[in-house]
Order: sequence, then C-alpha cells, then structure tokens
Amino acid sequence: MSTYARQEAANVTLPSSLDEAVAALADMPSAVPVAGGTDLMASVNSGLLRPAALVGLGRISEIRGWQYADGAALLGAGLTHARMGRPDFAALIPALAAAARSAGPPQIRNAGTLGGNIASAAPTGDALPVLAALEASVILAGPDGDRELPVSHLLTGMDPLRPGELLAFVRIPLLHAPQTFLKATGRTGPGRAVASVALVVDPARRQVRCSVGAVAPVPLRPLEAEQWVAGLIDWDGERTLAPEACTAFGEYVAAACIPDQPGVELPPAAVQLRRTVAALSRRALGRALA
Amino acid sequence: MSSIIEGPGPVAETLAGEGGEPHGIGEPVPSTDALPKAQGTYPYAADLWAEGLLWAAVLRSPYPHARIVRIDTSDAVAMPGVRAVVTHEDVPGDAMHGRKVADRPVFAHDVVRHHGEPIAAVAADHPDTARLAAAAILVEYEVREPVTDPEKAFAAEPLHPDGNLIRHIPLQFGDPEAVGEVVVEGLYRVGRQDPAPIGAEAGLAVPRPDGGVELYVASTDPHADRDIAAACFGLEADRVKVVVTGVPGAMGDREDSGIQLPLGLLALRTGCPVKFVATREESFLGHAHRHPTLLRYRHHADADGRLVKVEAQVLLDAGAYADASSDALAAAVAFAAGPYVVPHVFVEGWVVRTNNPPSGHVRGEGAVQVCAAYEGQMDKLAAKLGLDPAEIRMRNVLATGDLLPTGQTVTCPAPVGELLKAVRDADLPPLPDGDDESQWLLPGGVSGAGEPGAVRRGVGYALGMVHLLGAEGADEVSTATVRIHDGRATVICAAVETGQGFTTLARQIVQEVLGVDDVRVLPSDTDQPPAGPAARGRHTWVSGGAVERAAKMVRTQLLQPLAAKFGMSVELLTIADGKITSYDGVLSTTVAETLDGKELWATAQCRPHPTDRLDDTGQGDAFVGLTFCAVRAVVDVDIELGAVRVVELAVAQDVGRVLNPRQLAARIEAGVTQGLGLALMEDLRAPRGIVKRPNLTGYPLPTALDAPDVRIVKLVEERDVVAPFGAKAVSAVPVVTSPAAIAAAVRAATGRPVNRLPIRPQAAVVKPPTP
Ligand SMILES: Cc1cc2nc3c(=O)[nH]c(=O)nc-3n(C[C@H](O)[C@H](O)[C@H](O)COP(=O)(O)OP(=O)(O)OC[C@H]3O[C@@H](n4cnc5c(N)ncnc54)[C@H](O)[C@@H]3O)c2cc1C
Repeated sequence: MSTYARQEAANVTLPSSLDEAVAALADMPSAVPVAGGTDLMASVNSGLLRPAALVGLGRISEIRGWQYADGAALLGAGLTHARMGRPDFAALIPALAAAARSAGPPQIRNAGTLGGNIASAAPTGDALPVLAALEASVILAGPDGDRELPVSHLLTGMDPLRPGELLAFVRIPLLHAPQTFLKATGRTGPGRAVASVALVVDPARRQVRCSVGAVAPVPLRPLEAEQWVAGLIDWDGERTLAPEACTAFGEYVAAACIPDQPGVELPPAAVQLRRTVAALSRRALGRALA
Repeated sequence: MSSIIEGPGPVAETLAGEGGEPHGIGEPVPSTDALPKAQGTYPYAADLWAEGLLWAAVLRSPYPHARIVRIDTSDAVAMPGVRAVVTHEDVPGDAMHGRKVADRPVFAHDVVRHHGEPIAAVAADHPDTARLAAAAILVEYEVREPVTDPEKAFAAEPLHPDGNLIRHIPLQFGDPEAVGEVVVEGLYRVGRQDPAPIGAEAGLAVPRPDGGVELYVASTDPHADRDIAAACFGLEADRVKVVVTGVPGAMGDREDSGIQLPLGLLALRTGCPVKFVATREESFLGHAHRHPTLLRYRHHADADGRLVKVEAQVLLDAGAYADASSDALAAAVAFAAGPYVVPHVFVEGWVVRTNNPPSGHVRGEGAVQVCAAYEGQMDKLAAKLGLDPAEIRMRNVLATGDLLPTGQTVTCPAPVGELLKAVRDADLPPLPDGDDESQWLLPGGVSGAGEPGAVRRGVGYALGMVHLLGAEGADEVSTATVRIHDGRATVICAAVETGQGFTTLARQIVQEVLGVDDVRVLPSDTDQPPAGPAARGRHTWVSGGAVERAAKMVRTQLLQPLAAKFGMSVELLTIADGKITSYDGVLSTTVAETLDGKELWATAQCRPHPTDRLDDTGQGDAFVGLTFCAVRAVVDVDIELGAVRVVELAVAQDVGRVLNPRQLAARIEAGVTQGLGLALMEDLRAPRGIVKRPNLTGYPLPTALDAPDVRIVKLVEERDVVAPFGAKAVSAVPVVTSPAAIAAAVRAATGRPVNRLPIRPQAAVVKPPTP
C-alpha cells in the first residue's frame, strides 16, 4: 500500500560526468540540479517547487572528492558533509571539517553536499562563513566553459549562478595556519546556527580573518576588527594575546555585526545575539591562538 | 540516552530474566508491534487506501480574528477534478461541536477565531487538485483586532457568544488572614507546547451502503469522536463507525475534528472514499496545544521553612474554544501548592478565550504549569531561609491522610518523602574528566562552541503530582470482552493502543489469569462497547480492570465444571502454562482438554467510585487517584551562551505496582524527555495570533543528543487498594515534574530566576558583574 498517489515519474537524468551534466541542463533549461536533495526535496515535498525535470549530480565522481592544485585544495561540489567531517579532511581544512560535523543530524550529513550548501545560500549554511574567512573561490561549469569567482560574489548575488551553470569545485588556499569554526544553536542536539564564527589566523599575510554566519543573509566580515586585532599580534614572536584583547575583539566583532541603531535601544533578542557573537568570536580567536 | 534501573528490587530481578519468553503481570513482556514499527511496516492512517478514493484538502483561516463577509466556492467547484466543496452551509446536523461544550463550529461561518480555523473543504481526484481548489475558494474577510493577551480577554469584546471566561475557580482553603514569617513572590510563565505527534493527522472516510460512513482515523477516543461526527452529519450514532488505525504518537486527545468532520461530510457528499493527510503545518495549526499559562504566587513559610500559606493566581489561555480547558483548570487549581502540606491555600484560577491557537488536553495539563511555579517558589524560600532546596521540600511533603487544598483526603499511597529521599541520596553523576574534553558533551553539542571554563553545573529538585482518571464526576467506565478458544485467548476492548502499551498489558493480564500465553488483542472500533479516551492513565486502570474481570469470569466458567466434578472449590485450582492443577497435585489436565472445543466468552466493566465537581470555593472530592514523582536534574550551563545540557535526570516514582518493567522504564524515559522539551525548547510561537514557523525546524523537539541519561533510582510499589492490581499509571507524572526540576537546576547553576518555560538562552546567561 502506498501513501500517496504515485507522482508522475519526474524526468530524472543521472549524468556521470560534469560535461554530461552541463549538456543535460542545456538540453532541458527547465531542469533543476539536485545533489543530496536535503534542501531541494523539502521544497518539493511541501509543494513550493515542482521541478519539470531533475539532473542528479550524485554519480559524477569527479566532484565527489578533492585534489591539490598549486597550494590550494580543489574540493568537488559533491563532497558530503560526512566526508568533510572525517579526520583526513579535518587535517587539511579544520574549520570546514568542524562546520561539516555540525551541519544537521547524521542522515543529513551523509547526503547533504558542499555544493548544495553554497547554492542554497541559506543564512544558516554552516560552510559559508568558513569559505568567506578562507577567501575561497568557486569554479562554475557552464555551457560556455568554466569560470572562477570569489565565493562572496556568488553569495551576495553580485555575480550569481547563470542559467545552465553548475557549481563544480571550490578552491581553498591551503594555509598552514590555525583556523576555527564555532557555532551556537542554543541546544545540544543538532540545530541550525543562531550564530557562527569562522576565524583564520594567517601568518603568511599577517592577517586575522573572521566571518560571522547566520546573523545576516550572507556571512559578514568585520574587517576593522580583523585589522585591529592583527595589529596587536606579535607576528614574529609568540603570537599570543592577552585575554582582555580577545574579549575586546569579541565585542568589536559583535558590535560590527549587530550595530547599534541610533536613538533606539537594542531589543533583548539583539542583545543576546550580540553577546553570543562576542563569546563565539572571543573563543574562536582564543582557540586559534592557543 | 541510556536508562539505568537500579537494583536490588523486583524490577532489577525481572529485567535480568530467567530465560524463555516473559509472560504475565510484572514481567518485561515485549510489545507485539515493536518490531513492525521499527521495520516501518506497521500501518498508520496515512498508509490507508481504498479503490477510487478522492483526496481532501481543508481551507484554513490565515487570520486569527476576522469576520467572514462572503465565501465564494464557484471557482473551486468549476475546477476539473473537483468533486465536492463543503462549507458551513453543507453541515446537515449540528453546526457546533466540542468535547465538553459544543462551542466550536465545524466550519467557521460568520467569524474566524484562530489562525488555521477550518472554513471549507474540498474533495478532488488528486491531492494537488484538492489543495489548489481549496486555495481557489474566495473568502472575503473583515480583519479584526485579535485578543492574544489572556489578561486582556476579561475586558475584551466577547470573542464567542459564550463569553470569554470559560471557567473561574476561586479555591479557598483555610484562613485567608494567616501569614508566615517569610514571604516570597514570583511570576511564572509557561509556553505553548505542541503534542507534535511523529505522524501528522490523517484519515480515510468510506461511505456505507446504508447511508452511513466509516472513519478510519488514529482516534484516541473513538466513541466520543463517533458521537461528535454523527451529530454533525445528522446521523444516528450507529450509522457512523470509527475504526482506529495505527496511532503515530498521542499526548492526549489526538486527532483534529477539523479533519475528521470534513472528511466524513465529503465522503457522504460524493459517495466515494475520501482520504486526507495533513501537512506538518496543518497539524500544528489544527490540533490542541498545551495551555500557555501565567502564574503569580506568594508563599508564606515559618522560620523553619514550613509552609503556612500559598496564594496564587493562575491564568490559562484556552485559545478560541473551550475543549478540555475546564479540566486543565481544575488540575491547576487543585495542585497549585504541589505535593506539600499547606494549611492555608487561596488560588484564583481562570481559563479564558483568546484568538491564540487552541489549547486542550495534553498529558499532565494544568499540573505541569503549576509544578514549574510552585517549585520555583520552593527554591526561592530555600534561598531566603538559607536552606538546602531538598531539605525545605522534605520538611513539607504530603503523605497519605493529609488534605489537598480541595478538602479531599489523600487516601491512596503518597510516598512523597520516600521519593524525594531516593533522588536526593542517589549518587551524583561524575564530573567529566577535565583532561579529556572529547569525553565531555558540552552544552551546545558535539562540535558546538562549548568551552569548559564557561560551564557551570547545577542540581535541582522537583516534586510533582497528577490525578489518575478523569476528575470531577466524569463517568470513567470501560468495558472489555475476553474469549478463549483452542488454547488461545482474545481480548476485545475499544481502549486504544496509542503506544502507551495497553495491548501488551491486556495480554499480560489474560496470561496471568487464564494461564495461556497466546493472547490476541483485537483492533479497536466503535462496534465494540466504549472504553473511553486514552488519557490520564485510564486504560491501565479501568480498561485493565475490565480485562481482568472478564478474564476472571472466563476462568470461573472454565474451572467451575472441573471443580464441581472433583468436589473442590475453584480457588484450589491453578492455571499455568496451559495446564490446570489442583493444590494437592492430584488433578492435572490442560486448558485445551478442559475446553473440549468449546468457546468461552465473558464481558465485564470496570467503573471506579464516583467523584464530585469542585464547588464554588474549589472544594470537593474530585479525584479517584493520585500519583507522585520526584526528579533530580543535573545540568551543565554555558553561562556565556546560555546553552543548557541536561546531564542526568534521576527519577523516583510512585507506581503502586510494576506491571511491566520494560514498558514502565520506556514510559518514564518518554515522559521526562517530553518534559525536557517543554523545559528547553518547545514553544509554538504565535505573535499576534499568527503561528510562526509551524514545522519541525521552527519547533525543535529533543533529539537523542538533547535527551539526558534517565536514571530510575526508585519505584515505590505501595499498592493502591482501589486500583486494579494496585497499580498507578506512569506516563504523565514524569512530564509534569521534569521541567520544574530542570528549571531548578538551571537556577542553581546560574543564580538567575528562571521563571519562564521554555528556558531561553538569555535567561541562563550570567551577566558579567558590572564594574
Ligand atoms: C533536518 C535538516 C537539518 C539541516 N541542518 C543543517 C545545518 O545544521 N547546517 C547547514 O548548513 N545546513 C543544514 N541543512 C541544509 C542542507 O542539508 C545543507 O544546506 C546541504 O549542504 C544541502 O546540500 P544538498 O546536496 O542536499 O543540496 P540539494 O538539496 O541537492 O540542493 C540544494 C540547492 O542547490 C542546488 N545545487 C545543488 N548542487 C548544486 C551544484 N553542484 N551546482 C548548482 N546547483 C546545485 C540545487 O538545485 C538546489 O537548488 C539541514 C537540512 C535538513 C533537512
């Protein structure tokens, strides 16, 4: 016995290479790509989306792994959260591994992908602040060939995905530098971020890069706070900071992300969010420098 | 989550097992539906199918309060594939219905009183068509200002011809002038918990050749649902049959009449089977929630911490319709001081109508909310007097023979002090090993932001109580039939298996009485005699009692001829493992041989002693039975982020008698986990009457990582002589008690007042001292 009347068998294509996938999308402009389906199928099931056809990306093995290219890691868009959470990946890009481990329950991590997380561009997408802090770029495959752009351009909609284009790879510079990702959900079980912070201490460029997720539609970079704290670090020495400096950094980041509105008192929810961002940023910096 | 039952004691012994399939009372008999449920093959209402069925969709109000100017269904009717559209004009019978008071329209006609109230329903040949057609119905609304603050409901324009005050109980007990040496005051709020059943509402209605209709639904009270449906359809009750399907989770009165009634109307109208499966959103909008409650308290105590007087005001938000609200208020008022001896108690209780989502019967209603408040008060008193929180509670515990503030004498076992002592004296869970942080599940979760330096541990106590069975004169009768044939027994009883384990209990009872292992319990429907709602531990008591009586009657029928033949009384014969033996071992035969191909049947009823309605001052013997529980919560709080992790809940419970240790542990674990949800995360938000994010992302439920270790440190088995087997139902009281214990522990960890459930992170943050 089945619950629902069988849906008219949707037109599903399962290409086994990127080229085939791009061709399939060119053939059927109304088709929608689907990777793990953890975002897409929720919209389909609730009736928000009725795709005329689907192009499944799950069989494209070239985007399910990663490779090295000139001091960077080239991550396939089809990497699952579960794969990114494993120790070998964590040794490579610890902050992204931490984000992946915190993304939803195990069932979701087994199916959900990096590409889907970026394409969905949800404010609570856990990979997004990490990619912003690492200054990653995305490689898009389309009918007119590949192009590469900073992930922030894609997320902010400055340079969106064009029709027929697929997210193929994510390029992340390999920094031999401490990086952290911290997420607050308000609960112990898996949950969407109330706020998250990704932070990199990059001695090569003498930079601290910090990105705050979930408090705005896209990850926020508190550039002034980054520069201020980078100026306090003795890059040639111990690279430690006094606890007060970490606390001040946290406050700085929080105030930048949840600014005061002139003339009005911050509502209690905003005060709590600011407190949370401050604690996360302080902890993230403390751990990166530890 | 893990559960530990500590020995020595009967529970530990029986859990250890002696080999062989367990059977009979007191044994860990497994439920027969556990395996199909785990394998996903157990059929629920959403799995039903009938040849040629149509699909229903319900149009619901987008506003919490509006006048309906006009409803135009013509576009929907004209859509290809649409077979019927029904509105209030198409209700042949009673336009109004309700569980206690008929104050709720089947379909809103002149006004809508809450977001999600049904206005019309459609049957079509495809679920999408039905949904689109429902959306195509034009409703012209004149939007009105919603009344969403229950405190403003008193003075607001009546939202309903019956007025806004559903019930008021001014309980007066003792001397209003009495005063204590110390006085503490508090204001508490409890949010709107949703029953959030794992399976959303669904059903199938099938028209009958005789002009009647059959409703296949996951009803927890089939006869009441049938009577409501028949009245609305304008049919005699015997022409409507409710068949109970698999129940995917129930916390009280399951099922939404806003679904059952339209389904039946559409089936009658079209002459075709009609199926409906609610979306998660509709489920949240339609069914009844826990009453959001506002509580003001003033406790008086003497210098030793003995309670002198409790004054309280309790305001329950019923939403738009009365439903079971008057029961919830009675429990809230009667248990407003908790399981403590208080010589003077004055409680003003009100339940009022608003345009908020509807409230109704959700396990432990009324008792949960007051427990959070009176336990907050006990902590305040302890702090003020410099007493240990467990100690101040110990000085005030209720016992058998004491009076409730309703004037009723507690006649059943009330081992409150023993329960408290058990949780107080239990070992505390060890602190995590500081060196190995990976072993420490911090508040905030596995890869959360937790930092050991910011974590504070807190320990808190709560004592809770609930009543068993319906109160205030409810006729709590149940009927059951037992049949034996060919060495197999069958139980026929309309008591619904909601997951609470009734069918397993019924099998155990018959195994015990008739000595046969093979016992089947038939599915419930309204062709069987009524057994009443699956709520307030009723079926353990009255339906279990009816099954026992029927089984004993069959036993007598079976043994009487044998006893007569051998000139001994029936009492001297025993049945076990299908064999009948006499006390002296002379007689030994089998059940099958004695039956000799015959079938034996017996039907019996169980009806507990009657109760009174609470009078104008809240006095009366309103309750048949009471049960108690003590919980000690241990929490870790990240005091900067306000994240709370419940490390352990130690539970001691008054159970009368352990009927099935496996089920009992599962019920306690389920109950405390539901309580944890209320304490930390579950609150269906409806600002200005509009339900926000009615889905399981917006309304998070506890997961395995949120659930603590549940340690059952003591089960007090003092038989309740008026209850069958001396047993007390176990599901509700852990729900009542655990939220208050968690709040107390967070209070201890943070020093914050924690006077609101769920506990929001900002309430558990410790602000750095201002310089
Ligand atoms: C219960 C639950 C919990 C969740 N918890 C979290 C969480 O904690 N943190 C979090 O970040 N997310 C969470 N998510 C969201 C989701 O799992 C992630 O965003 C996931 O990474 C999405 O990946 P996917 O492969 O499933 O995407 P899909 O659902 O397959 O696709 C999502 C969108 O991206 C498009 N798309 C996918 N791949 C590509 C590609 N290669 N090129 C172009 N377009 C593409 C699709 O067309 C679609 O529009 C949760 C989801 C659920 C259901």
